[in-house]
Amino acid sequence: MFKVNKLIISASIAASAAFFMTACNSEASASGASHSGATAASTAYANGKAVIDGGVVYPVVNGKTSDYVVDTQAESMTFNYGRTPTANELAAWDTDVTHIKLPPEGSGSVEEGEELYEAQCVMCHGDFGSGGGGYPSLSKGNAVELQKTLTNQRFDPDADGPSRFFGSYWPQASTMWWYIHDGMPHPMSKSLSVDETYALTAYMLNINEMVVDGVEVDDDYVLDQEKFSKIVMPNVDGFEPEIRGKDGIENVRAYYQDASNFGGQKVNPSERCMKDCLEPTAKPTYIAGTGISDFLPPMSTVRDLPKEEGGFDVKAAYESACAMCHSAFLAPGSSDWDSYTGEGMDVVYKKGLAGTEGGMPAKGGASFTDAEFKTIVDYLVSGK
Amino acid sequence: MSNKEIKNSQTDIEAVASDELSDRRAFFKKAALSVGALAGTSLLANEHASSGEDDPFIMHHVKWGQKLGDPVTKNRYGMPSKYEHNVTRRNTKLLASGNFQASIAVTPIHESMGIITPNGLFFSRSHGGVAHVDPNEYRLMIHGLVEKPLVLTLEQLKKYPSVTRTHFIECPANGGQEWRGPQFNSLQFAKGFMSCAEWTGVYLKDILKDLGVKPEAKWILAEGSDNSEMGRTIPMDKVMDDAMIVWGQNGEALRPEQGYPVRILLPGWEGNLCVKWLKRIKLSNEPFFAKEETSKYTALKPSGKAIQHFYANEVNSTVTSPSPEIPWKDVKVGDLIEIEGLAWSGMGTITGVDISFDGGKNYVEANLKGLVLPKCWTRWSYIYKYEGKKIILASRAMDDAGYIQPTVDQETLITGIEAVYHRNGIETWEVAPDGTVSHMQMRSTLKRDETGKVVIDKEAK
Ligand code: HEC
Ligand code: HEC
Repeated sequence: MFKVNKLIISASIAASAAFFMTACNSEASASGASHSGATAASTAYANGKAVIDGGVVYPVVNGKTSDYVVDTQAESMTFNYGRTPTANELAAWDTDVTHIKLPPEGSGSVEEGEELYEAQCVMCHGDFGSGGGGYPSLSKGNAVELQKTLTNQRFDPDADGPSRFFGSYWPQASTMWWYIHDGMPHPMSKSLSVDETYALTAYMLNINEMVVDGVEVDDDYVLDQEKFSKIVMPNVDGFEPEIRGKDGIENVRAYYQDASNFGGQKVNPSERCMKDCLEPTAKPTYIAGTGISDFLPPMSTVRDLPKEEGGFDVKAAYESACAMCHSAFLAPGSSDWDSYTGEGMDVVYKKGLAGTEGGMPAKGGASFTDAEFKTIVDYLVSGK
Repeated sequence: MSNKEIKNSQTDIEAVASDELSDRRAFFKKAALSVGALAGTSLLANEHASSGEDDPFIMHHVKWGQKLGDPVTKNRYGMPSKYEHNVTRRNTKLLASGNFQASIAVTPIHESMGIITPNGLFFSRSHGGVAHVDPNEYRLMIHGLVEKPLVLTLEQLKKYPSVTRTHFIECPANGGQEWRGPQFNSLQFAKGFMSCAEWTGVYLKDILKDLGVKPEAKWILAEGSDNSEMGRTIPMDKVMDDAMIVWGQNGEALRPEQGYPVRILLPGWEGNLCVKWLKRIKLSNEPFFAKEETSKYTALKPSGKAIQHFYANEVNSTVTSPSPEIPWKDVKVGDLIEIEGLAWSGMGTITGVDISFDGGKNYVEANLKGLVLPKCWTRWSYIYKYEGKKIILASRAMDDAGYIQPTVDQETLITGIEAVYHRNGIETWEVAPDGTVSHMQMRSTLKRDETGKVVIDKEAK
């Protein structure tokens, strides 16, 4: 069906990038790869190394890569756009925290963490990080015990699955500090101080019943930079290939050279199975019950005129802007509201519009008009 | 569907188990109408013709033909016909990590044509909501192991000589709810966590070549400026091959859902790696262990070890016509019907697709058609003579990196059924004699043997 075209390697490869740039390596060429007019694929880069993901690259040959014509004029030119960032700018954005880059100096206690958690996190992540309503669980118990569940496979539909939570699954604690600091709380990220982030991280260690440097993270524990550097997650070696250290990249490269590592199937196209290709035990398996079908909007392929939009849809507004916090607490029509409505609805509107210390962002963090917002508050309080 | 199953499917989505099922239970009680029933109504003028009567839509002046149409000044930015309003992205509560800001809306690929997804239908996934970036305040910083760190405004970035390439982007959780069996009787939800577009931007290597990359640099961090500050580690090998910084999508600016004004595009690799609202690139000698490459987007194997840094979406395919959404209608024995599908591989170019009518037991070759490009959707076709019998359609693609799609058994024997991500086992549609299509799978029951190895349970009924 396809022919491999033998074409001449383009000589004009920019020197600075030449090490990484790809060139046609006929020995490594994948079989039966290219169709007429396109340049052939190669399983190796110009430096002879195998392609990192186990796939192929398309060297520029005679000014083409695969079917695309390449404009090579720019390759030999230097572009001096932009400017050098200032030291302060670099510091402001260089916020990642990793296994080789500790968080800034600071400290926070489990006790402070619990207080912050109750004020800013519990409405989504549940008591002690138990999760709920689809929000991620931050703990399901003892990290070391739950790590043992990672070999669970639900071949029996009633069996328990693996527990993939912070304590039992994550390889690095740095991920937690970094993510809380830059990504949480969800409705207003990048609002927590360094000390607050230490406190919340300490609380995360506490609810996952972790031990740091031989010390149990109990209710009196105070986490600081020094102690943080000693955290070893129970599942630190639970991942493959090993990406840390000087061989990291080469480990990845070697891993993807072996299709059986990741479930890939290699085949010589002319030898692929065309007859009797299934295991004799393979049987038709159908969707259990009605399956999942609560699609929004409901599935339809009809061509008709859309229904006229009936003004402001208060329930949709609630779903998109308030349910994330209010489905668990101060839910529509809940009796929780009784302690808020005592001074009359005008006060409730006002506090909702302005936001409160107790965790309600101004207008819920959304951009409704005041009138729309009040309509949603009415719905929240009455449930109708 | 039992609560247990609902719970299990939720766990698949983001490995999150929830004990609070009450509001979801309420959802299911409303039990949505079956897909097939909804697809059934249409105004078929031909019904008249076949009975010998004249078709009124030919005999009378049509209602739009006698009055003035819209002025050209209407819809300065054009909109689809109102009649196409059901062709939309869709979402479901079960694919939300609590709210629709940490969720996905998927592409109606049962309605897609050719290999380009219109920008308004391109699947949308975010972890902290869709950010709305002011392009005047946009900055891209490149720093770390380079001699010359750099800050670019959007205007400066766009000065680089541009490159345009057509590539799909696929969420690695595409099909990931169905490791333990089919769950969605829908092509949109079973395979619509992907789309394909023509992207315009600059090769990242072309920017880096002037910055003096230090030899110790092995990885980069690509970080977004959105509320979740989503970041991922990318190896330099990809950066120096075909990684692009893109601002254009199908001839216009990226949509906010795709990272307006700028995202990184790693052709063929996990959609999650193609970080949106891109603000920072940092070169490093060590990887970064971001949340989305540890807690999520890692594939747990039966050994209890998880694959981290799982990059390319492997070779894959699906039948798009017929589909559970758009079954065969009014078919008679002997009719010729085109079976169409998509094939794609993040590891290379599609070299062929085989089609089976008995669930993947026996195959014949299908035909590729249109543009056949690397790491791009590829259309395939087979013209079938309808026999009035039940058939089980399965498609199987191959790529020029030498891979072929595995059977469900071949894949799960290696990766188990808890991996969540990177499922590319052969997909099957059962087509009933009346043309109705049901999603199903051909698979064996698995178990562990005495040594802990995953094997087929031959005794299973
Ligand atoms: C409005 C609801 C909400 C609030 C409030 C909230 N979160 Fe989250 N949190 C989320 C969502 C949604 C995610 C998943 C985001 C994603 O999909 O990437 C998440 C993810 C997390 C994760 C990662 C979990 C995992 O296993 O991957 C951590 C840790 C976390 N949040 C901590 C916190 C902390 C600490 C706070 C309080 C300071 C907080 N969250 C407040 C909604 C919330
Ligand atoms: C980030 C989580 C969050 C979101 C999003 C949110 N709320 Fe709230 N809301 C809260 C919390 C927590 C309280 C309790 C505040 C307190 O006790 O001070 C609250 C309280 C309120 C109150 C009572 C204020 C008072 O003290 O009388 C109103 C009214 C309200 N919310 C309306 C809304 C509406 C309407 C929306 C959506 C447009 C919304 N909220 C979105 C967290 C949220």
